[in-house]
Amino acid sequence: MSYSLSVLPEAPAGLPVYPNLTVVYNMSWYIFLTLLSLTLCLGSCLFHIGKLVSMGKPADHSDPIGNEKEGILYSFTGGMSPSKKESAFLHLPTYIAGLLYHIGTFLSFGLLLLILAGISLPAIVKLILGGFLILTASCGLGIFVKRFIKPHLRQLSNPDDYISNLLVTAFQVVTAIQLHIPIIAYFMISSALLLYLPLGKLKHMVYFFAARYQLGFFYGRRGVWPPKN
Amino acid sequence: MAILSEKNITKGLSILQNYTDNKLLTHLNSCVHCGLCAESCMYYLTYKEARFVPAQKVDFIMSVYKRYFTFLGKHVPFLSKARDLNDESSSEMVDLFFGACTLCGRCTMHCSIGVDIAFLVRTGRVMLAEMGMIPASIQSTVDASIQTGNNMGITKEEFVDTIQWLEDDLKDELEDPEARIPLNEKGKKILYTLNPREPKFFPLSISAMAKIFHFAKESWTLSTEMYDVTNYGFFTGNIGEATTITKRLHEEVKNLEAKELILAECGHGSRAFRWEGPNYLNQSFEYTARTSVELIADYLKEGRIRVDKNRLKQRVTLHDPCNLVRNGGIINEQRYILHQIANDFVEMTPYGVDNFCCGGGGGQLAMSEYNERRMGIGGRKADQIKDTKANIVVTPCHNCVDQLIQINAHYKLNVQIKTLAEVVADALI
Repeated sequence: MSYSLSVLPEAPAGLPVYPNLTVVYNMSWYIFLTLLSLTLCLGSCLFHIGKLVSMGKPADHSDPIGNEKEGILYSFTGGMSPSKKESAFLHLPTYIAGLLYHIGTFLSFGLLLLILAGISLPAIVKLILGGFLILTASCGLGIFVKRFIKPHLRQLSNPDDYISNLLVTAFQVVTAIQLHIPIIAYFMISSALLLYLPLGKLKHMVYFFAARYQLGFFYGRRGVWPPKN
Repeated sequence: MAILSEKNITKGLSILQNYTDNKLLTHLNSCVHCGLCAESCMYYLTYKEARFVPAQKVDFIMSVYKRYFTFLGKHVPFLSKARDLNDESSSEMVDLFFGACTLCGRCTMHCSIGVDIAFLVRTGRVMLAEMGMIPASIQSTVDASIQTGNNMGITKEEFVDTIQWLEDDLKDELEDPEARIPLNEKGKKILYTLNPREPKFFPLSISAMAKIFHFAKESWTLSTEMYDVTNYGFFTGNIGEATTITKRLHEEVKNLEAKELILAECGHGSRAFRWEGPNYLNQSFEYTARTSVELIADYLKEGRIRVDKNRLKQRVTLHDPCNLVRNGGIINEQRYILHQIANDFVEMTPYGVDNFCCGGGGGQLAMSEYNERRMGIGGRKADQIKDTKANIVVTPCHNCVDQLIQINAHYKLNVQIKTLAEVVADALI
């Protein structure tokens, strides 16, 4: 079964046909909402990135004893490996669940772009991806439950944490469904996520990379990363 | 009754607003509240209180930031639990930032995202400093530095007397009338610094380093005007005072026309000058500033000093000072030295950049109000030491020495605590 924009309503009868505008006529309000949300989301993310870039990294007058570039490279590679991070090797199930959850998120964003572009995928691929997304969404749900039942996590958490988690999990679930059965809820949830992303904790999607860069720069300059022992 | 004035609140908030680069902005927006940093923090591991989870600590500064500087925090504060900066939140910040964090940075290194948690806590201290909320106990240490030139308030006469007495002892020990502890001599290669605890409580560590310099035939001097390597302004968050202390030492290097500044065995002092100092002064140094640990390792590598490995018969372990190792990159030098002088050297578990803080970092030793908590977290270090079955614990940091001495007594470890210079001096041939 293939999927394309053809499942959406046709352009209203009686209107003049201009080839370049056909897609606009065919576009339903929920597609338009999703595209608008995507534009706002990308614009906001670019704003955050622009702010970070324009401010620049801290000036450091100390004499380095290490290599900043190597530190940054390590920060994004070995420094994130489970063997090097207590947050990973002491919490392997959570680490793996988190990893899968994030893969599921990026996969869902990729599929959103394909769906909006009307690009269809082979049935077997959709079946595999749909199954995988159900798995990753389960991981998200597991993280949600853990946040709720662990006292120290519950105390640390705020509504933004729960909303973000639920939105992303729901996004993965409806993506899995949308691959097989087109539903308006998919576009509604996608739009909600895209609009919320730059406002709450989900904007770590941008700041995560900046944080790893900063940390790699700091430890690299001081000769701590890559590790010596 | 409100204690904080609007003016002080504005001053505190200005720290979150007037940043000049993207570091603070990055880390204020990065934490995802995963809470996986909990097990990297000695305070949480010891007391199991949710408020001691590193993410919970920095949430105080992040939630204030959100309240005043983000769309959601300004308009829908409950969504991110955005907090007002007021008497209640600032008092909690004092307890968490000063009383429940040694700034060891262990949580930073293991954060799943890469949030520089120690940097955020230090920024929180800077905010509190701006608001006039530095605990009086630690501020008195800075005041002593500013007023007398050293954090112990040692007078010049007392210092000179101590050094002269140590010099006489050194001549006797080495049976060499030429052995010296030079004072205020211009144009020497090295200006050496001290932790004021040395002339006050541990003079033999000065003798030990003087002996090493003597054997290495080094050109060196001490200064009577500015010898204090410590900088508690780095801990309090008062950037102005930290800069003043840094500037004094910097000026003394230039005044004595030394080619190199050697920073004594003091973790935070060497970090404050070596790494933060150039940024406090907004300039690079025209001379080399490095630690005595690196210097001694070089002496051994270059053959300028020789040691007898068989003299030290007991088992030795090493405590890694956080500021020197995790935040300063001095990781292998102290190990190289210990392998040269000890047949039975064992590492703690974990060690190196993963080592646990002794509990004396972040200015904890200067804040008596947190003594009980400090000794509590020291239990983890006590367990690490016990597990090695070592008789001697070596650490290249005088603050760590102090904390380890107290841990030794409190947990009945029955070990000796020594500086690196002390064990090297004993092995010199």
